[in-house]
This record gives sequence, structure tokens and C-alpha cells, in this order.
Amino acid sequence: MGIFVDRDKLMTLAEAAKIVKDGDKVAVGGGLCMREPIAMVNELIRQGRRNLHLIGTAHGFDVDLACGGDIVGAVEETHVSFEQDFGLAPNYRRACESGKVKIRENCCNTIINQLRAAEYGMPFVPMKSIKGSDEIKLHPEFKHFVDPFTGKKVVLVPALEPDVALIHVQKADRHGNVKVDPPYVADVLFMRAAKKVIVTAEEIVSEEEMIRIGPTIPYYEMTAIVHVPYGAHPTSCYPYYAYDREYISEYFKAAQQGPEAFRSNYLDKYVFGVASQEEYMEKVGGKAKRERLASWKEGREKWMELFTYG
Amino acid sequence: MAEKFEVGIDELFVVNVARTIEDRTTVFHGVSSPIPMVAMYLSKLTHAKDMVYFGGVSSAVDPNPPFLPYTTNDWVMIQGRTAMVTVDKIFDLAQKGELDRSFFSGAQIDMYGNQNVSMIGSPDKCKIKFPGGAGGCNLSADCVNYTIWTTRHRVQRRGDKKSYTFVKKCDFVTNIGHVTPYGPRSELDLVGNGPDWVVTELGVFDFDPETKVMRLRYLYPDVTVDDIMDSTEFQPAIHPEVRVMDMPTREEVELIRRIDPLKVRQLEYPPQELARKFEL
Repeated sequence: MGIFVDRDKLMTLAEAAKIVKDGDKVAVGGGLCMREPIAMVNELIRQGRRNLHLIGTAHGFDVDLACGGDIVGAVEETHVSFEQDFGLAPNYRRACESGKVKIRENCCNTIINQLRAAEYGMPFVPMKSIKGSDEIKLHPEFKHFVDPFTGKKVVLVPALEPDVALIHVQKADRHGNVKVDPPYVADVLFMRAAKKVIVTAEEIVSEEEMIRIGPTIPYYEMTAIVHVPYGAHPTSCYPYYAYDREYISEYFKAAQQGPEAFRSNYLDKYVFGVASQEEYMEKVGGKAKRERLASWKEGREKWMELFTYG
Repeated sequence: MAEKFEVGIDELFVVNVARTIEDRTTVFHGVSSPIPMVAMYLSKLTHAKDMVYFGGVSSAVDPNPPFLPYTTNDWVMIQGRTAMVTVDKIFDLAQKGELDRSFFSGAQIDMYGNQNVSMIGSPDKCKIKFPGGAGGCNLSADCVNYTIWTTRHRVQRRGDKKSYTFVKKCDFVTNIGHVTPYGPRSELDLVGNGPDWVVTELGVFDFDPETKVMRLRYLYPDVTVDDIMDSTEFQPAIHPEVRVMDMPTREEVELIRRIDPLKVRQLEYPPQELARKFEL
């Protein structure tokens, strides 16, 4: 953990991405189809970051994109897929199966306890589970141990302190106070456990407004704040927008066609071929798309429709 | 004469999973779990009204969603809730022995209920990477009991080659059953008691109390014991009172159709399985 007291932490996406170094342990926020820091992942791909060690729980688009964008050296997520909607993650699979990415698959409660150890400033946590599972083969750092108080078998898992956490939130102020709407998934844990935290936010509000609504996490945990509307697209960031199933479907088809096709049909168009988030959202579909993704508010039927596009 | 009313395999399957859920218990479904999601919601509205319902990664307590979505992490799944908790609180309950049930599946499942959700091959030479177990490695050890489900029991034939989900040996054990590669549960000082039910598209199984081997308990009306044997690489036990399962009520089926208008309950099947219908 670090303590950050600068009054003005607002910077550009490109400036904030430079905080992430090659080989860093990076906690990626959100999960599955919700509130993943996609604009930041795109920027890291553009900047050609390499060999990142990704940490997280149940993820999908973000990790697959990062693998396809060639910025990953190891994946310590607990689950990576597009669930039963589209299925196995094509870029992630290829990266694991070719040996390009080291498989460090972890399990949710294990990683939660490892992050809590970092948050609490403790060296390790004893766990009653993990025994019996081959997951231990992927984690030589876990140690079998006998609880000296009860004589029972436990597994010791070390504190896991990410070098940097990338979190996309609804609101932040320039000082670094952050308002996240639940579900948090592991984001609050990430923000408290990581050495540095880079937050992208849909809205930057005044400090007075932030005090009025009450920050989820106070400013001194945050290293950098970036204003990125639609920064989680195509995953959801409610109440602003639902997930963009149509876009994910296009992505998935490109990813299935292999690394070269993914680069030319997807990365060149939506990552390397855009200079700003505004340009990205124009390419994605502009005003009509933005209105459609906000239409979940209009009631059950409209909301359901968003799950059938694509 | 009463009009003909048909129930699909997808609806009957949901009811079979729902029957493993008891009232006044704490229950959680994880990621990539459309069928348990429907089964939990159905149970909360029918026989398990006082179940404490943790709805997936969203971690809402007792949600009452307007419909069920294709992903387990969406604001749809926190609508109508009593409260939000963070996901670590659900795992805390489990490690204290206070989470009564969850649901797990696997691309490979062995006779003791061990499941592989991680890979074909080995960590150094991975041939197929599966998504990973999410919380399964921990919760399969910690939950009081859990239900295994798969819609892919039926053996796949490609030429002479047979491909089984129910295998003699898993390439990798992600979620643990009764006898693990590192010994039986009784020797591992675990919190939970392991899987007690296995629901597939061919049958419903419990576990033999002595041998801890999967044991056929109920059959679908269009499946025989021979079909089960043909589709299972190991030799499952047969319960002495094995029989055809009870059909759901018409009310249960209509409720499933109402709470699941997007038919997420059908997402997990090979297309030809969904043609199976049963008359009530």
C-alpha cells in the first residue's frame, strides 16, 4: 500500500498508463461483463506494455483482450470466460495453450484472503480449503502446515500485493476520492491491497459533491485519476450503460479467427486505430449506440432486448 | 380430457437441481451457472422461501430480478434485493461452515465427484485451457454440501473415438469430490462434506455412503440404465431403488417459463438434446 496526498491527481489516460511497468503484478477491476477497465487495457496495448502478471477473480473480456494485445506474461485470475453466452475465451486459451502466458490460475477465496493479508499488513493467511485440489501445483508458494493450536492441516497462502490496481468507477474527484456503486466484486480489496491504484471514472465531480454523496474509498489510497466516459465499454457500467452484447459478439468472432485476424480485424480498428476515447465511441456506434446502451432504464422489455443484440 | 402439457428437458433439469435445495439454508451460485441460477430463483419462489439466496458474483441477498440474464454479474441480478454483501462475505460464511450449498460443474468429472474446470493436459503442456474454477476449489472443500450439474453426460463419438465427461481420471482436479488425488476428505481436515447430488441430462445420482462412488438414483423417462453405462467411462453404482424421477407440476414449469423469459436455462445444451420433451 502507498499513501497519496496530492491535491490534484487528474491526468490523461496516456500519462496514467505509464505508471504501469513491464512485468508488474496488475489487479484488474470489475468482473465478467461488468465495470472492467477496458479503456486502460486498450491504452496499455497501444503503449506496448509487456509481460504483465494479471490478478483477479472471475473475468472475461478484459483478460482476453490483454492476451490478444500481447501485454500479458502470466494470468492469476480464477476464471476467464464469456460464460455460457459466448463460451471459452479465445485469446486467453491460445495464450495458455501456446505457453506464451504462464498459467497461474487461482481460486476466489484464496486470492481474497491473499489480498486481505496485504490489506491487513499480515504476511500470510492459513486456509482450511485448497487441500485435495491440484490448484496447489500452480502455486509453489503455498505451504502445507499444521495448525499449532488445533493440530489440523492447513495451507498457508502469502499476502498478495499487486504493484498496481486498475479500477473503473462511476465517480471520482481530482483529489482521488472514489465512489463505486456495488457490486464491488474485488475492487475495494484491490484498492486497499495494491501499492498503486489507477482509477478511470465516468464522471469527475467536485470535492463538495463527493463529500455529499460519500466516497466508497478515500483519496489517500489513489495514485491517479483519469476521466474516461465509457471507460468500461463493452462491459457494463450502470447506471450509465449496460454491456454491449452486439460489440462483444463482433469481438468474439474476430478473436476466434486467430491472432493475425484479431489484430487486423479488431486491434487495428478499435485499439491502434483510435486516438481518443471519443473517437473510439464514435467508431463503436456514436449517439445511437450510447442511447441504446442507456435504454435499460426504460423498463424490463428494453432491458431484456439488450441481452439479445448481437 | 385434460389438454396435453409438455415439459422440456431444460425445465425438468432445472427442477431436478431445485430439488437439491432445502428451505431455511444458505445457498450460493457462482459464475457460468445459468441452470443453478434458474433453480435457485425457482426454489425461492416455491419450496424454499426462507432460503438465504446469494445471487452469484453480484452478491445480492435475496434478489428478485425482473428476468435472468446471460451473465451472472449484471445489475439485473441485484434488483429487488434485501441487501448487498461483498463476495468475500459469502466465502467467509463458507470457511466457517455456514454456507449450506453451492453448485459446480466440470469438463471432466470422476466417480468420486472430483471435477476438472482447468485444463486438458498439464500445467506445463496445456492442450485445452478451460475457464478455471472461480471459487470452486475453495467452496467444494468448505460448503456443507454441493450439487454437481452437467448437461454433457452423453458420450460424444467422433469416428471410433469416444469422448466422456464422466471419466476414470481427471487430467487436473480443480474442485474436490469425496476421494481426492491427495486422499479422502476424512484425512484432509476439511470443513464441508462434499457433493451429495449429481444432476445430468441422463440421470440424477447420489453417492454410495460406503464406497463414495457416484450412484444412479433417478432416470429420465427416456433413458435406460444401459444408456447411463454407455455414456460413463467408469462404473457408477446403482441404487437398489433406482427409478424414473417424479415429473414437475404444471405450476412449476409455468413459473420457470415466467422467471426465465430469455431461456438462459437452455444455454448449456448441445442443440439436439433440447428436442427432448416429456408429457405431464
